[in-house]
Amino acid sequence: MLLDYDRLGWLKVALLAFTALVAAFLLLPVVFIVLLSFGSSRWLAFPPPGWTLKWYQELFADPSWIEAALTSARIATMTAILAVTIGLLASFALVRGRFRGREILRGLLLTPMVLPVVVFAIAIYAFFLKLGLGGTTVGFVVAHTVLALPFAIIPIATALEGFDKSIEDAAIVCGASPLQAKLRITLPSIRIGIFSAAIFSFLASWDEVVVAIFMASPTLQTLPVKIWGSLRSDLTPVIAAASSLLVALTLALMIVTALLRRKLQT
Amino acid sequence: MTQPFLSIRKLRKAFGAFTAVHDVTLDIPKGEFLTFLGPSGSGKSTTLYAIAGFQDPTSGDVRLQGKSLLSVPSHKRNIGMVFQRYTLFPHLSVAENVAFPLRVRRRPDTEVKRKVAEMLSLVRLESFAERLPAALSGGQQQRVALARALAYDPPILLMDEPLSALDKKLREEIQAEIRRIHRETGVTILYVTHDQEEALHLSDRIALFRDGRIEQIGTGEDLYLRPATDFVAGFIGNSNFLAAEHLETVGGASTIRLADGALVSGINANGSFAPGQKTRLMIRPEAFRLERSPNNAELAVEIVDVAFYGERRRIVARTSAGQEIDIRPTSSALAAQDVASSRRPVFFDPGAAFLFPA
Repeated sequence: MLLDYDRLGWLKVALLAFTALVAAFLLLPVVFIVLLSFGSSRWLAFPPPGWTLKWYQELFADPSWIEAALTSARIATMTAILAVTIGLLASFALVRGRFRGREILRGLLLTPMVLPVVVFAIAIYAFFLKLGLGGTTVGFVVAHTVLALPFAIIPIATALEGFDKSIEDAAIVCGASPLQAKLRITLPSIRIGIFSAAIFSFLASWDEVVVAIFMASPTLQTLPVKIWGSLRSDLTPVIAAASSLLVALTLALMIVTALLRRKLQT
Repeated sequence: MTQPFLSIRKLRKAFGAFTAVHDVTLDIPKGEFLTFLGPSGSGKSTTLYAIAGFQDPTSGDVRLQGKSLLSVPSHKRNIGMVFQRYTLFPHLSVAENVAFPLRVRRRPDTEVKRKVAEMLSLVRLESFAERLPAALSGGQQQRVALARALAYDPPILLMDEPLSALDKKLREEIQAEIRRIHRETGVTILYVTHDQEEALHLSDRIALFRDGRIEQIGTGEDLYLRPATDFVAGFIGNSNFLAAEHLETVGGASTIRLADGALVSGINANGSFAPGQKTRLMIRPEAFRLERSPNNAELAVEIVDVAFYGERRRIVARTSAGQEIDIRPTSSALAAQDVASSRRPVFFDPGAAFLFPA
């Protein structure tokens, strides 16, 4: 190999140090937020003068926070279901299909990943205002599904590419109809990809804030929007507590994904 | 005339301007082991896939017991198939793989159980029933695929180069297994391979494909001992082709002149040749003798190399016209030093030599 890690010599130390620095830069703010959520200072002083759980008590005592969290979970779940369903069908077309414009379609479906979110947010805001979908759950779910689609298509299409079509053909010769063969053989065989797609598209919606700000109404707010709104009105450690919960669920989902992938692969 | 079991009528498959299969017509009796042999791109797999229903033929018909299969979708043809690649369902155990075709046919549980046990014992993998395919070797996977393809007692079993991914020793082992299973079940097998040895070992008959057409169909012996064309002679077994001029043919026996001027008569004539026509004389390497015997023709050669190949020796010799030929006498025929002398005659029976157009 051109760059063999074992043969880097002193560069190895430099590389480790640099990697550690980048990791710290990315992780420290999250660690700070979590620490502050347990700190007793109302002014988010660091290091905290003492430790307490009262911000979490406040958080759970406030129905508007609970409602925001439930709204987020509801929208993310629907987004995941929709994105996986559409992503699955799209992946079959992109991987198996032989038609003109297939590569263009692939690019089109993946654009939400590279397009600046704010551009998409403004566009869909204006569009949904006309349709009367602004501030509705449907509007939220549709907008988030567009954003989540690339995260659903990439793992499913990758899994499908790695799946030998002869296996599906074998199921058909065995007497399964083409649909039966897909449902009973192909889908279970690419379940790691489908599962990853579900988690990723759930998360894409769960922690999405830009589009959500445009979509939200006073009565329909997701957790990130509620955090954002609270930050602007008053700086309270309850926000740190809410953020910590957001991070905790994301982390938990990522760990579950990693564990399941390992289990399914062996 | 009795109706053939499986009948392929003028099957043609074109991909745009390229015609992969040209009007192939073939009758296959029940219980036969027929091999489609040929180089890659010769149309053998395309023909098989048309029978399986994965390729719609451009024209022609495939009939099973008189009924056309073409309007029947793949999953309703009730045909068994083993693929070139490993196609076990990765998330199902060996037993569930074999049970799959019975489950989609909604057979009762007791029957499924009994049939799975019967099939796994047929391929001798009873103790692997609960394993996942990933825990099996390539050879075991293909045996399970065979069990799965036979579980529903299909009238025809299609096999598309099922052993090509396996190493030589394993291949021979599973060939023996396939022969035994063919004998025990009596199923009609259509087998595709590009390996002529495999075709010779396994088949009742071989259809040799070339450029989308059947070049010759017959038993392995027919193709080896009585090749219809130089392509067949060159594809099945090893062969030497010597440039020769045709002089005359009387009663199916030709007289020719070799490049060194030697006259040979009593050659098997394949077709008709004009006097003076340029031809090629085909002689199998093992048809050459090192000792003179009555009625044998003689060829003066220079020995280039002698190698020991176990049961046979392989001698590379050069004719006086400068053409290299391959000679394979049995090893016991004589000791190595006897053949090492550089110039000597070799002998062949004209009746075991064939004349083809140049």
